[in-house]
Amino acid sequence: MAEFLDFDRISKRFGPIQAVDDVSLGIRRGEFFALLGPSGCGKTTMLRVAAGFETPDAGRVFLDGRDITALPPNRRRVNTIFQSYALFPHLTVRGNIAFGLQIAKRPKAEIEREVEAMLRLIRLEDQADKKPDLLSGGQRQRVAVARALINKPDVLLLDEPLAALDLKLRQRMLIELDIIHDQVGITFLYVTHDQGEAMSLSDRIAVMNAGRIEQIGTPAEIYEAPRTSFVAAFIGDTNFLEGVVADHPEPEYSRLRIEGLPDVTVYNDKQIADGNQVFLSVRPEKIQISRDRPEPKSKRNAVPAVVEDVIYLGPTTKYWVRAGGHRLQVLRQHARFFLDEKPIRWKDDVWIFWHGDDGFMLEGFRRDDERLIAVPPQKVGDA
Amino acid sequence: MHDRCRRPEAGSLVITRLRRRMAEILLTLPSFFWLALFFLVPTGLVFILAFRPADPFGGIGRGWTLATIRALSDPQYLAIAWRTLWVSFTATAICMLLAIPTGYAVARAAPRRRNLLLMLVIVPFWTSFLIRVFAWKSILHPEGIIKKALVFSGLVDANASLLYHLGAVILVTVYTFLPFAILPIYAAAEKFDYRLIEAARDLGARPFAAFRKVFLPGVRQGLVTAVLVVFIPALGSYVIPDIVGGTGSELLGNKIAQRVFVDRNLPLAGGLSIVLILAVLAPLLAVLALQRKAGQAVPRDGEGTP
Amino acid sequence: MRRSRFPFIVTGLVLVFFYLPILILVVDSFNSSRFGGAWRGFSLKWYARLFHEPAVWESARNTLFIALLVTFVSLVLGTTSALALHRFSTSRLQRFHYTLVYTPLVVPEILMGISLLMAFVAAGIRLGILTIILAHVTFCVSYVALTVLGRLQDFDFTIVEAARDLGASSWVAARRVLLPMLAPGLAAAGLIAFTLSVDDFVITFFVAGPGATTLPIRVYSMIKHGATPLINALSTLLLALTFTTVLISQRLSASGALKSRTPE
Repeated sequence: MAEFLDFDRISKRFGPIQAVDDVSLGIRRGEFFALLGPSGCGKTTMLRVAAGFETPDAGRVFLDGRDITALPPNRRRVNTIFQSYALFPHLTVRGNIAFGLQIAKRPKAEIEREVEAMLRLIRLEDQADKKPDLLSGGQRQRVAVARALINKPDVLLLDEPLAALDLKLRQRMLIELDIIHDQVGITFLYVTHDQGEAMSLSDRIAVMNAGRIEQIGTPAEIYEAPRTSFVAAFIGDTNFLEGVVADHPEPEYSRLRIEGLPDVTVYNDKQIADGNQVFLSVRPEKIQISRDRPEPKSKRNAVPAVVEDVIYLGPTTKYWVRAGGHRLQVLRQHARFFLDEKPIRWKDDVWIFWHGDDGFMLEGFRRDDERLIAVPPQKVGDA
Repeated sequence: MHDRCRRPEAGSLVITRLRRRMAEILLTLPSFFWLALFFLVPTGLVFILAFRPADPFGGIGRGWTLATIRALSDPQYLAIAWRTLWVSFTATAICMLLAIPTGYAVARAAPRRRNLLLMLVIVPFWTSFLIRVFAWKSILHPEGIIKKALVFSGLVDANASLLYHLGAVILVTVYTFLPFAILPIYAAAEKFDYRLIEAARDLGARPFAAFRKVFLPGVRQGLVTAVLVVFIPALGSYVIPDIVGGTGSELLGNKIAQRVFVDRNLPLAGGLSIVLILAVLAPLLAVLALQRKAGQAVPRDGEGTP
Repeated sequence: MRRSRFPFIVTGLVLVFFYLPILILVVDSFNSSRFGGAWRGFSLKWYARLFHEPAVWESARNTLFIALLVTFVSLVLGTTSALALHRFSTSRLQRFHYTLVYTPLVVPEILMGISLLMAFVAAGIRLGILTIILAHVTFCVSYVALTVLGRLQDFDFTIVEAARDLGASSWVAARRVLLPMLAPGLAAAGLIAFTLSVDDFVITFFVAGPGATTLPIRVYSMIKHGATPLINALSTLLLALTFTTVLISQRLSASGALKSRTPE
């Protein structure tokens, strides 16, 4: 099935930098699709290729079956919400919103009707005759959205639209964008470096790094089953352990030999054969921590450890422990009243344990990605 | 299924690049051509003319000669060059002494007051230069107000003249170029983070020490611009010495004009112009060299050893 | 922390220093006495005398004509130059172009005057209004180019991209978005060029022929020949003109600046 917005092997370089490297991506009609990644990963370039502001060095872009690669931006049925909103300062809110239809030379009556409808949608009827410099950040963003949507584009491109807003406002605009998407039903392509935005808004996410796609999937797939160390470390927190596949006690489970630790059982969804070197990733919230040794259970991994850091956060506590020479992170949620228990403290001997289903082996691992995990320093001046 | 061809149309990339190049050349050509023709060429001409002999009837002779260059070592020219340097230097120094506190004060003023002050400083900046020099000529005139006031208060002898000497030239030069000095210092002072001075005071520095050690280095760029913007035009002064200077206060500019209009000795005028050009280039190149040295990379966190 | 009063005192003295001579000049223009030292009563006779000086009017007409022409030409040359310098800022050609544009600003006027004079003489061009115009444009282009360049550098070009994104072709986007937003900057640059041309003396002095007189040259010869009270009157008029020009240009730049008040 051909997708609605199709990127076919797009490459783009700027001087010595390969911004986008042979990237293919298919977005479905009506989808809220996010391109997520750190700055410089190529996501903005992809957006600009879709909008028509960059021509790829190689590859093609298809919209609803039609090749739009060489089409200039004003001839595409695609509209962009810029990061700075780029509202026309010399036009009023009304003038800004009407711009696209005026360029298309629609009849005056139709333009007025549509503009009023948009003003109602974004709830700025009483600000309609003001110039942008008198509006707040959130209001400007809504004008930018209206200005784009009024043209009924096939795809709406959003370039980190919430980056300029403060936290509270961002949370509110997140929900508003979601509502608008549901109401209008247009395909959204949303570019961001903020995983919270991507995860809460999108139907599917493509995680990008250094010009390549690391993984495409739903937010849950990306979070629970990352394929590479980058995805595992960039989204949320995780622990990495390096080991060798010793054997497989059951068809779908492998046993890993990790230096310093007892053998670890892990679910093998990637059909990795015995003898291979692999990297294991276990998310901190999947690991439990206790002073007492846990009951042995099938596929449960239990490891003794010493607590090195305790960070109390209120609803949760983050523990950094050392087990068999490895520094691991454990996240514990306080589901019951906390002050009743005897707390686990620094230098305590504990047991940490997790189920074999809750860890995963990674297809791709890069040492660099370990740096994405925010490990607290142990001495002043530690890198 | 769509065609799996990878490249966009064959020549389109090349055409875009060519079109871009053409656009650049088209936009650059008008001003480039004009400035090359009316600025570069004439300046080159000045250099060339200095090496040509002077025609006794006021034109330019044929052939080449170094006689003009050698004539420049005449003591009268050395005296004038020295005088020009000295006057420019003094005027610049006085301007800086006045401009630094003023620029600072305007930058620190409350916003509404600041706009008013800025306008008050800018207006003379836009006023006709000739008129301002003339204003001084008339008030320094022996029958003028200031002379009368000074004689009245006993500061000055009745026979002394306030006009037609180097003092008057320096005074009027300061007057003329002071706004030029204030503005860059104001611009730099406005961007300066005054919490740095608070930090210095917190660490024990007295007000003047904080000013000297923290503020001045912080507005260094503005100070350099201010110096250049007074010193260099001052070197080329013509009108000021001409109107308020009198015969003993000729500067390089006046000499050049004299050679052109009175003696009709164009090559010599050219030679003197070269001297002026060199005098102007020297501080500029010095500043450029200093800036290059200062612009060395700053180490960042995480790179290199902690 | 007590703020020292010293800088403010100096500022006050500097402002007095600036305006005292000008004030005396203005006051003297209404002085019926020939000599500025003594006040002999209010009089407009010098202004009346001024109006009957044909030489002054002729030079004023020349000055205006030259200034308008120079403003137009240098706006065109300066704006194209600024556009090139901004759009293609990385190319080698532009780096040289920038030096070429920047240098006339640091060169003392007398050098420019004498080099142009020599060039005109060498090329056999007769000195007159034409040579004045050519000379004025030469130094005005740099000011215009750098002023417009400054505005371009502060300009948010994503706005032009937004216009194209919404369906405007490059040309329509330039007409409906770029030009209206650049207009105040162009007006400011034009005003600068106009003022520079009207006020210029040194360069004009060198390249003007016997027949062509501008107002500054007329003022200079009046100074040299001692027609003092007339100069006072003329100067006062010119000062009033300058003052209004500055006010207008301040208004222009104030309305162009964005006020960022965020109510939410």
